[in-house]
Amino acid sequence: MEILLVIIIGLLYAAGIYMILRRSLVKLIIGLILLGNGANMLIFLLGRVVKGHPPIIGPTEKILADMYADPLPQALILTAIVISFGLQAFAIILVKMAYKVVKTDDLDEMNATDEDL
Amino acid sequence: MSNPYIVLPIIFQLFLAILLMFCWTQKNLQKLVSTVGSLIAVAIAVIMFAQVWKSGTLVTQAGNWGAPFGITFVADTFSVLMVLLTTLSGLAVSVFSVGAVRNARVKFGYFPILHFLIMGLCGAFLAGDIFNLYVWFEIIIISSFVLITIGGEKAQLEGSIKYVTMNLLASVVFLTAIAVLYGLTGSLNMADLSLKVAEIENRGLVNVTAILFLVGFGIKSAVFPLYFWLPASYHTPPPAISAIFGGLLTKVGIYALLRVFTLIFIPDAFMITLISIMAALTILSGGIGAMIQNNIRKIFSYLIICHIGFMLAGLGMYTELAILGTVFYLVHDIIVKTNLFMVSGLIFKIKGTYSLRLLGGFYKDYPKLSLLMAIPLFSLVGIPPLSGFWAKFYLIRGGLEVDNLVLVGFIILGSFLTLFIIARFWSEAFWKTGEELPKKLKVKYYHELKPLKQKAMVVSILFLAFISLGIGLGAEYVIQVASRVAEELMNPQSYIEAVLGKL
Amino acid sequence: MLIAILAGFLLALFMPNVIRGLKGKSSIGIALLPFSLFSYFISFLPRISSGETLHFNWSWVPSLGVGLDFYLDGLSLLFTLLITGIGTLVFVYTSSYLKGHQYLDRFYAYLSMFMASMLGVVMADNIITLFIFWELTSISSFFLIGFNNDSEPSRKSALTALGVTGFGGLFLLAGMVTLGYITDEFQISSLAAMSGEIHGHDLYPWVIGLVFIGAFTKSAQFPFHFWLPGAMKAPTPVSTYLHSATMVKAGIYLLARFTPILGNHVMWNTTLIIVGSITMLYAALHAIFRLDLKGILAYSTISALGILTFLIGLGTEEALTAAAVFILVHALYKATLFLITGIIDHETGTRDVSQLGGLNKIMLPVGIAGLLAAVSNAGIPPSFGFVGKDLIYEATLHFGDLAWVLTGAAIVTNVALLFAGFLAGIKPFVGKLPEKFSKLHLPGPAMWVPPLILAVLGILFGLIPPLVDGPLIKPIVAALTLQDPDFYLHLWHGFNVILALSVATIATGIALYFIIKPSEALLGKATRFESISPHSMVKGLGRGFTWFSAKWTNFLQNGYLRYYLITILSFLTFLLAYRLFLGVEIYVDTSVLSEITIYEAIIVLIMASAIFFTVFTKSRLAAVASMGVVGYSFCLIFLFYSAPDLAMTQFSIDTLTVILFVLVIYNLPKYLKLSDNRDRIRDGLLSLIFGAMISILTLEVLNESVQKDISTYYAENAYLLGKGKNVVNVILVDFRGFDTMVEITVLAIAALGVFSLLKLRLKSIEKE
Repeated sequence: MEILLVIIIGLLYAAGIYMILRRSLVKLIIGLILLGNGANMLIFLLGRVVKGHPPIIGPTEKILADMYADPLPQALILTAIVISFGLQAFAIILVKMAYKVVKTDDLDEMNATDEDL
Repeated sequence: MSNPYIVLPIIFQLFLAILLMFCWTQKNLQKLVSTVGSLIAVAIAVIMFAQVWKSGTLVTQAGNWGAPFGITFVADTFSVLMVLLTTLSGLAVSVFSVGAVRNARVKFGYFPILHFLIMGLCGAFLAGDIFNLYVWFEIIIISSFVLITIGGEKAQLEGSIKYVTMNLLASVVFLTAIAVLYGLTGSLNMADLSLKVAEIENRGLVNVTAILFLVGFGIKSAVFPLYFWLPASYHTPPPAISAIFGGLLTKVGIYALLRVFTLIFIPDAFMITLISIMAALTILSGGIGAMIQNNIRKIFSYLIICHIGFMLAGLGMYTELAILGTVFYLVHDIIVKTNLFMVSGLIFKIKGTYSLRLLGGFYKDYPKLSLLMAIPLFSLVGIPPLSGFWAKFYLIRGGLEVDNLVLVGFIILGSFLTLFIIARFWSEAFWKTGEELPKKLKVKYYHELKPLKQKAMVVSILFLAFISLGIGLGAEYVIQVASRVAEELMNPQSYIEAVLGKL
Repeated sequence: MLIAILAGFLLALFMPNVIRGLKGKSSIGIALLPFSLFSYFISFLPRISSGETLHFNWSWVPSLGVGLDFYLDGLSLLFTLLITGIGTLVFVYTSSYLKGHQYLDRFYAYLSMFMASMLGVVMADNIITLFIFWELTSISSFFLIGFNNDSEPSRKSALTALGVTGFGGLFLLAGMVTLGYITDEFQISSLAAMSGEIHGHDLYPWVIGLVFIGAFTKSAQFPFHFWLPGAMKAPTPVSTYLHSATMVKAGIYLLARFTPILGNHVMWNTTLIIVGSITMLYAALHAIFRLDLKGILAYSTISALGILTFLIGLGTEEALTAAAVFILVHALYKATLFLITGIIDHETGTRDVSQLGGLNKIMLPVGIAGLLAAVSNAGIPPSFGFVGKDLIYEATLHFGDLAWVLTGAAIVTNVALLFAGFLAGIKPFVGKLPEKFSKLHLPGPAMWVPPLILAVLGILFGLIPPLVDGPLIKPIVAALTLQDPDFYLHLWHGFNVILALSVATIATGIALYFIIKPSEALLGKATRFESISPHSMVKGLGRGFTWFSAKWTNFLQNGYLRYYLITILSFLTFLLAYRLFLGVEIYVDTSVLSEITIYEAIIVLIMASAIFFTVFTKSRLAAVASMGVVGYSFCLIFLFYSAPDLAMTQFSIDTLTVILFVLVIYNLPKYLKLSDNRDRIRDGLLSLIFGAMISILTLEVLNESVQKDISTYYAENAYLLGKGKNVVNVILVDFRGFDTMVEITVLAIAALGVFSLLKLRLKSIEKE
């Protein structure tokens, strides 16, 4: 199964990169979201996946039995997901405002700041 | 030594930010709180610095979960030094903002976010856990996103799209690096990682991971060829904001590079060469970029890049002396760059333009301000005995030590370009006969401001100028600090022992 | 002593108050500072002549071995006397020359700053301290040359001067650091003893090369000389003080100072002889063609500096004696000539030598000073210049095989210099007084007394050489050769070859003076070669460099976000590939991989197609929707693989993002096909390669076994210590609670940001 996830991660990264290289603002954001997903999946996979053993201590037990999924990457991903949501939400609104002010969706037309002012 | 108070700089900034949010609409109260708070923050940092200096590295385990299981905060000399510098620039910028930031921005959360940003910076400097470092980086970038866009002007938004994209990309790379590192070691605590990474047999994978960290932090620190976001955006927000950005944001990247490449990844020959080449080209690109700019804030932006190259060069030489030089340069650069962006803000307030071609006559009209501004300008050049000089001395010495004469050559080239650019800047903006510029309706000129606001701007520049002078004339003390930092960085055992206990 | 050296800086600081205190009265009193310094230093004369050297040390940056260490030996003493002595006269002169000038305070401030820096240079006993003061002289010179900052040429010259000397200064720094690195010693007075060690070191050529560049730029040696004529834009007191008598001699001082340390090596001597002779000949010839008095003097100064470099290059005791004498000779007559040029300029308003004449009738004392200086410059007995020239010929004649070539070069130079000196010192005063100047009168004594004093000294020392040879010259030669010298200066050597050469020089020079009449035509001939002069070349180089800078910068910083991203990603991809394929053994270890079940395969298939759809769809809504599908399939994977909390979070966040996106997209324009196919293919390739790198890296990491002691700790202690059964939650709120706190803060800041982005639109009326 890992092998499939590896491919999916590669695909996510590739798709994300491809999208941020486009000229459209919307695609840029989609690209960033895909990259974020890819990174989360990577943490998940590299924490080594285990099927069907969530890291939850049974009602009668005091410690986890020997076969369980690594809880730490899950905690990290949770944090990362929430953080990236904050950033993405901000980026989405930024795009909206940029479009409103600059009146274009084409990134190639947003290069005034690199010109000599 | 364990000491829970070392998170105080972070918590205090959080407290300040929240307090400021409660005075959302009262702009004068916000200014007062921010200034007084920043003063207290400096005091806290000074006390902490003194304590670390006296008793060595301090550590606290958040929630009392012993390392490497909980989140560790570590205050070694480097960390507290950075915290101290951050609070000093923070204080200056906070005072400067009193005069320079317009009310509308204040009413929309400028001050709280400024303090969130400073909190993020302090957090990043004190973090002893790689994922926690990531989280602090996120605080820094989200605060900087908000600050750079606050006001929503066209140039700001265009610049910030680039800024946001490339910083998010850097975050993804950083997160990828953490994922791989965790996959290899199963640990996040930096001291623990130091030990575990050293044990990994598959050095190839370690080297690949190091590349990810290099690029992730490299984007943040604006090194060649990853710096594009900086010249595209730093000149767009209000000057107070570019001041804190110019002084501190790239430096956090340099801090992280220094930390990670001395503690976790010991660079191999390839890495050393790579960093050296990047440093050389960073110096070159920054220097010649600044040569051809007309907007004074862009000139300073490119000079940031150029001088980031100096600091990277020290890492590329990788000797204790060279690292000492880098740390000294860091100290000098944070103060001077913050100040220069404030200077550019003041110039704008007086003249209503950032264009070097249009500026002029400053010396004649404002002789005292000119002399004041000369201090950061010529410190930047490293005219001895002002602050930039000593660092350069160590960097050259370090380059000789490792026989990297090419890098020494680039450092000299960079210094020369800086000298020339600043001299030309002086000649154009200060000496040249000033033309009468048409009044801009949108600009609130310096002379229209209340005296308190005027004083706030001048005093903050004066404050940092004095620190620059102090760094230059009291070089001995800075060298002692920097040499202790360099020693601690190059011999991480003490760091590891402080975190994990005696091994 | 420290106070003496730094007094100038202090005075500079308070100069505005001082001038304001004078309330427009004559500022001549300021000259008291240099004068008292002069008296102070001259009081050391007896001790220095008896062979003592004095050391003064103040600790500054001990961990670097850099201190305010100063010492006074013969060489330093001569220079301190020149600096403070000529300084006194220049200060006096300025009080009249710039009387009532709006920025007199600044001028004096820079001048005192310069004086202090220069004193620092010549007395420093520490190579880094030396460098520090060295740079300060460059900076003060920058401010002085640009003093008339309203004029564009002034500013340009100031920049050029700072550019050249600053450039040299940095090389000097590198040289000093290298020297310190070789010897681990910064004390100049201790370095001489290590001379052998330094000569033998591999880096020796670097050291002298770097020191040379420092010295040559400062002392205007070919091909770095061009800043000096430009620097003549400065007010005349500055030209006198900095650009003839003191600062430009700093390079010479440096070479002399390092002769015992770095000298006596074939590389050292040869370079100096070659550079020195090129400079002296080149500049001497240039001086002949000038019309501007200051131009003539500038080139003749360069030529004289060339002679000094050349003499130090010869390096024999005779040559060094000649150099020591010539420094003094030159300072005396050249400062005089500059000062009288200033007077002429000040009174007549022109410096064009072809228009001047007959000024003797109205300013006789100035004319006398000019005549005496010209005589000393020409080396006509009984002037001190004659003594100096004799020594030069003596030195060249005794220099082995090349004696006659070198002597020839010296003669040609001296002839041209004589001509230049006559032009500046005699020509304006003799002949017919032009009508327009007839109403002029002699300026106040503050202006004409200083040059007269210097000129008289130039003759007096010639008449009575013992005034200087024992007290001043001998200690210098002792300092340079590290031996006790045994010689006396004489005016009269008897009839010999040297005398014949002297006479020949003088005769030719005077003949030349009567033959060549300076004119525009002549100037035109000289400027024809301007395009191949080093100055033009440097300018061209500068233009080329600017062009390159613009190309390079605009190529990289082209304004297109996607090119920035491509650069960053290509860099990352390349490095990853390089390190992966060259450093890691790539293989797939199937034993660590689990089997693929049909459900999983289906989910993955859905995901893959959703990703493709997101990328390639032409509808924005569809793209966002399929991105949502990607997110939901994530939830399933998380569920399968024991991460229920993640699945839930992912589900809610994904939903939120999609909703937000749809709301925003509503306002955005439709997708346009913006990139062409070539771009798409290029970007596609880059993305695929990058994705592949990540996949390979992931596979290889999966092969590694990993310690899980930290997770084990969590698993074992989550309930016992953290009182929670869901380990992930315990980690979030307890073990790593700080992360969560910060994460919430991120959200809060983002919310603030969204709020202000949406609400705050700065009204166009409100002021920045």
